[in-house]
Amino acid sequence: MYDATNGEISKALVTLAIEKTLLTMGKPVLDEVAHRLFANYKCFIPDCHEHPEYLKSVLKELYGNCYNNIVKSIKKNLEEFATKKSIEHFLTVISE
Amino acid sequence: MQTNLEKSQTKKYLLFSIVGTGFIMLLANLAGQEATTMITNLLYVPVPGALAVLSIIIAVRFTVQGEHGKAWFLFVGLAASWFIAEQIWLVYDLVYQTDPFPSVADIFYLAGYPFLFMFSIYYLKPLKDAISKKIIAYSTLAAIALLIPSLYMAYDSNSEISAFELALALSYPVADAIVLIPALIGVILFFRGEVNFLWSLMCVAILLDVVADTGFLITSMDDSYYTGHPIDILYLWSYILFSFGVYSHIQIFKKHRPKIKSQNLDDLR
Repeated sequence: MYDATNGEISKALVTLAIEKTLLTMGKPVLDEVAHRLFANYKCFIPDCHEHPEYLKSVLKELYGNCYNNIVKSIKKNLEEFATKKSIEHFLTVISE
Repeated sequence: MQTNLEKSQTKKYLLFSIVGTGFIMLLANLAGQEATTMITNLLYVPVPGALAVLSIIIAVRFTVQGEHGKAWFLFVGLAASWFIAEQIWLVYDLVYQTDPFPSVADIFYLAGYPFLFMFSIYYLKPLKDAISKKIIAYSTLAAIALLIPSLYMAYDSNSEISAFELALALSYPVADAIVLIPALIGVILFFRGEVNFLWSLMCVAILLDVVADTGFLITSMDDSYYTGHPIDILYLWSYILFSFGVYSHIQIFKKHRPKIKSQNLDDLR
């Protein structure tokens, strides 16, 4: 049986939190964010775990200075896992 | 993705539409009242029609799911009711040649306001962190400041209108004051640099509509209004701004073809 590492679990949790937040706004929002991530940085949503700055920049592009509200929602979805080191790093960078 | 070039082109088309409509109305007014009425009524077919079509496109793209989806679904309600109202107005004005106020058209005009208010709430929801109590208070005060003289003007008018007509005339400034609050919030956010110009178009459109309604009320009370009156330019501009606002969202949230995605995946391999 394959055992997921802590890093992989964190990555999955971050991906789920991002996707859940964007889906709450609408499927085209998730599609657009995914598209811009790939177009600008050649990365996918799970890669935002290592590069939160990419997600931050795409959200800023779409929503201007009001991207904070989306970040807040992602943070809320990850609240109970915020003590995990890699998630803590993700949250710190995205909230800066 | 909407590139900077697309954005500037959208702004160019917007400017062209605004200037073009103003120019047509100006020429129509020079040609006499009858021609003005005819041309303006005919303009009310493609202009609100385009808005209805664009709003259906964006609503279908978002479906009813998600906050944006609900917002655009409500917007379809607004675009459809106002489109129907404009066509009823046209039929009364051009076919039956009777005064379209009051008429069934008013039911559809008024039906649009709850949709517009709910839409603006959902539309501004992603920006709620940027909306302070101070902004809400200023917007509410401005709406009340516009409502009081409008109500006074309508009530104090010397026109010989029935109680029903008066109630109907009064319901517009009340509805306008309600939708003006979120619209002003959106405009304030734009001037504070929180949102971009295309995002704030919807709010500017509401603002124009409210100004047009106030103008309509004033001119109706002294019986100087006719279809094609310069105040109609504001209604048409409002529809145009709404249309470009919706169009910019269609551009932003384009459907991305899976073919492109798989092509990109192949590049990665």
